[in-house]
Amino acid sequence: MSVFRTLERRIAIVFVGLLALVMLLMLLIVARSGEDIIAAESQRQLAAGARNFSNLIDQDRRQLELAATVLASDFGFREAIATQDRGTVHSVLLNHGYRIGAKVMMVLSLDGQVIVDTQRPGQAARPFPLREMLRAGQLSGRSSGVARMKDGMLYQMVIVPILAPVRVAWVVMGFPVEDAWASEFARASGLDVSVLAVAGGIHASSLPPPLRKALEQAQLTALGEQPQQLTLDGHHYHAVALPFGPQARVLLLRSIEYSQAVFRELERVLAIIAASGVALFVLGSFGLARRIAGPVNALARAARSIEAGDYSHAVTVTAPDEIGQLAASFDSMRTGIEMREQKITRLAYEDTLTGLPNRTRLAEYLAALDPKSAAMVAILDLDRFAPINNALGHPVGDRLLQLIGARLAGLVPARGMLARLWGDEFAFVVEGSDKESARRFAAGLLTTLREPIEVGGQRLDVDGSLGIAFHPADGRNMDVLLRRAELAMYSAKRRQCGYVLAEEVGEGPAPEQLSLIGEMRQALERREFILHYQPKLALASNRIIGAESLLRWQHPVRGMMPPARFIPFAEQTGFIREITPWLLEEVAAQAAIWRKQGISLVLAANLSARDLLNPDLVARMRDLIALHELPPASLCLEITESALMEDPTLSLTHLAELAAIGLKLSIDDYGAGQASLSYLKALPVHELKIDQSFIGSLAASPKDAAIVRSTIALGHALGLTVVAEGIEGEADLAWLREAGCDIGQGYFIARPMSAEAFADWVSAATTTQA
Amino acid sequence: MADRAGHQARRLKSREALLALALACTDVAAGGLIASVRTTAGAPVEDAAIVLEPATGGPRANPRGKATIEQLDREFVPYLTIVQKGTAIDFPNRDPVKHHVYSFSPAKMFEIKLYAGKPAAPVVFDRAGEVVLGCNIHDWMAAYTLVVESPWFAKTDRNGTARIERVPPGAYRLRLWHPRQTAAVAERPLRIGADAQRLDLAIDIAPRPAVNKPPLQADRY
Repeated sequence: MSVFRTLERRIAIVFVGLLALVMLLMLLIVARSGEDIIAAESQRQLAAGARNFSNLIDQDRRQLELAATVLASDFGFREAIATQDRGTVHSVLLNHGYRIGAKVMMVLSLDGQVIVDTQRPGQAARPFPLREMLRAGQLSGRSSGVARMKDGMLYQMVIVPILAPVRVAWVVMGFPVEDAWASEFARASGLDVSVLAVAGGIHASSLPPPLRKALEQAQLTALGEQPQQLTLDGHHYHAVALPFGPQARVLLLRSIEYSQAVFRELERVLAIIAASGVALFVLGSFGLARRIAGPVNALARAARSIEAGDYSHAVTVTAPDEIGQLAASFDSMRTGIEMREQKITRLAYEDTLTGLPNRTRLAEYLAALDPKSAAMVAILDLDRFAPINNALGHPVGDRLLQLIGARLAGLVPARGMLARLWGDEFAFVVEGSDKESARRFAAGLLTTLREPIEVGGQRLDVDGSLGIAFHPADGRNMDVLLRRAELAMYSAKRRQCGYVLAEEVGEGPAPEQLSLIGEMRQALERREFILHYQPKLALASNRIIGAESLLRWQHPVRGMMPPARFIPFAEQTGFIREITPWLLEEVAAQAAIWRKQGISLVLAANLSARDLLNPDLVARMRDLIALHELPPASLCLEITESALMEDPTLSLTHLAELAAIGLKLSIDDYGAGQASLSYLKALPVHELKIDQSFIGSLAASPKDAAIVRSTIALGHALGLTVVAEGIEGEADLAWLREAGCDIGQGYFIARPMSAEAFADWVSAATTTQA
Repeated sequence: MADRAGHQARRLKSREALLALALACTDVAAGGLIASVRTTAGAPVEDAAIVLEPATGGPRANPRGKATIEQLDREFVPYLTIVQKGTAIDFPNRDPVKHHVYSFSPAKMFEIKLYAGKPAAPVVFDRAGEVVLGCNIHDWMAAYTLVVESPWFAKTDRNGTARIERVPPGAYRLRLWHPRQTAAVAERPLRIGADAQRLDLAIDIAPRPAVNKPPLQADRY
């Protein structure tokens, strides 16, 4: 129904429709019951009118009798009668008849002879024709009735005696029953009055001539004292006929139309009320509906514009009702959503610490670049930020990053961007930049960066390394550009030369390796990385005192991959930062599980240089220990000598913090790197692991044996536990035990194995020993 | 009502006493008539007139002179008065209101207009016949006077009995009349001897119309 589509119309139509229905019903009921009421009312009025009419006739008769009696009592009249003075009697009669409107005036002798008749003066005495009436008068003293006289007219007759003082004669008076008489009675009774001759014809009638004519032709014989319907000239009546003397009847009519007229008027007024009620309702309900629907429509429009992301239009419904409250809530919702969206957008695209754009924003910016237009992407990594952060605390580190961010922001050209990628790494994009301008920009940037900064009352010297890649020469997508710039940055850091262009450090990893990066990411998600454990045997007690966790990759296509195939690459690409947290968590969890099973071992995990330099490492280790409720000394971190040398100073700082927690620290592959003895002396470590290249050739090379023997001595001298790994034969094991080596590790003792297998193996070994 | 009935009874007694005195004073020693008048149904008829007329028109006594018809309590008293022709009748008004006595009867037409107390002159009834008296003020007041030639007449008492005494013997015509007689009764010859004779007579009369007399002093309202 299309008319019901809007709320406004629906409200109006329902309201108006209901009212119209009620009104119509009311009118129908009034009309229906009206007919019955009219019929009943008409009959009732007719009956009342008929009673009234009879009373009026009676009253009239008595009045006529009274008038006649007054005449009969007149002394002069009586004297004239007594003296038989006919002339005087005649004159008196005429006078009285004129006075009271009587047309027939007679004096009768006691024996019923007409002595005087005003209509026939001088005529000889003759018998009074209405003998019955006279006899009734002789019996009861007076009488009256309706009689038709010789002239054909109907008269109301009264006969009263003349007393002098005894009855001496009769006075007869007759009053014509004419139209005037009928009209008078019609007025008094409220009915139409007609007097009909029994023989036919109308003596008198209050009806107007046309109806009178119709009445003459009507068939009336069936009428009686019971009301009946009668139709005259198209008019409807209720009628009764009453006897009126022996020769006439009185027909009383009550117009049904007259009764109906009142009802028609009532119906007309009701119809007007109904129509104006409906009209008012139409106006009122449309007004009301508009007041309801208008704000609702406004709200709907506002909702649509909010849906479209336009929050600028305030909802302006000021009604004080529920709609108004809804609108107010709606508007506060609008501003709330707007604020939250701005906040979300900010959080999504903005680095909360510095207020600079974040990595996501940078990615969008790079994606939006014209593929052909040249742009420079530079990654800046601050040098020695981690030691500052650790030494002066995070708040100072954060403040430093904010200040540097603000300082660098001043360097961003109009068509370019500065983003903070993570930690102390920032990225610039400068559009339309070539190598020359890039070099100038890099030089200027480093100069700006190197200006001393004061944080918390301390003057700090900051330096950084830049790696620069070009769009589209060095790559078109962000991953490639950022990776190449990052590789260049690491190169610059290693060379300590400020900045390096990506093209100077080559393409970086081979395409096979590039795909490896993607696969590693998936591997983490798919849990393809697993840990194997290789036992560590205390040579003196011949007990298993620990195990080294070793990363394996169960590649779905290439099979089980040794760490050498992907760890270096992971370190190189920085993906190791994602692997290490997972690995540390696994190891800590495993330690906890075994501990609950009663296997108390020191589990070792390998850290790369990047891991060690990560400022978050110390906090992470502290959290892990707390989370798994482990004794700190049950975890051991192994760091290669070469990793330490990437940033010896920072490494030393971090190791000190880790040692302070209580973790065991181990120098891995010792002997292959360039650590000086003085540096080694300063390290807060507990263990030296002699590089397995020395162990594998113990039997064959006396020089290596000498190195091992002296290294064991050196380690002991420094208070360190010495571990030999890569033990592959019983002779080597025996030699090392004899040489005083503390712990052995290698295929001869046990291969690396899964956690389950390791648990079984440990139980078996313990049982054998027992 | 009881009071008025008693009053009438007293009045009747005094009238009989008066009549007896009158009879006793006559000097004619002769016969008489005791008539008993009843309706055909046997009820005694009061106020019936019995008149003896000499058959041969013989000696006539002188008129007795005077009679009185009072107006008392707005009624004529007596209801019937029989007088010999030539008698003068007084109409003393004993009521506190005035009366207007009239007669339209051919035997004597007269009227005494509104008067109180005793009228200036009595009315002489000088023709024989029936005279109906009325009062123009009080419609119900009606009285009858029968004027006769003969001096021998009487009217019946409430027992329907009338006595005529000291009637000289001889032939007479007996006339019986009543104001409300339904039909005239024919005269009949009657021989009067030396002794009083008894006679039973019959006449039918209409009942006296009920008088709806308003009280003298209207109800207070």
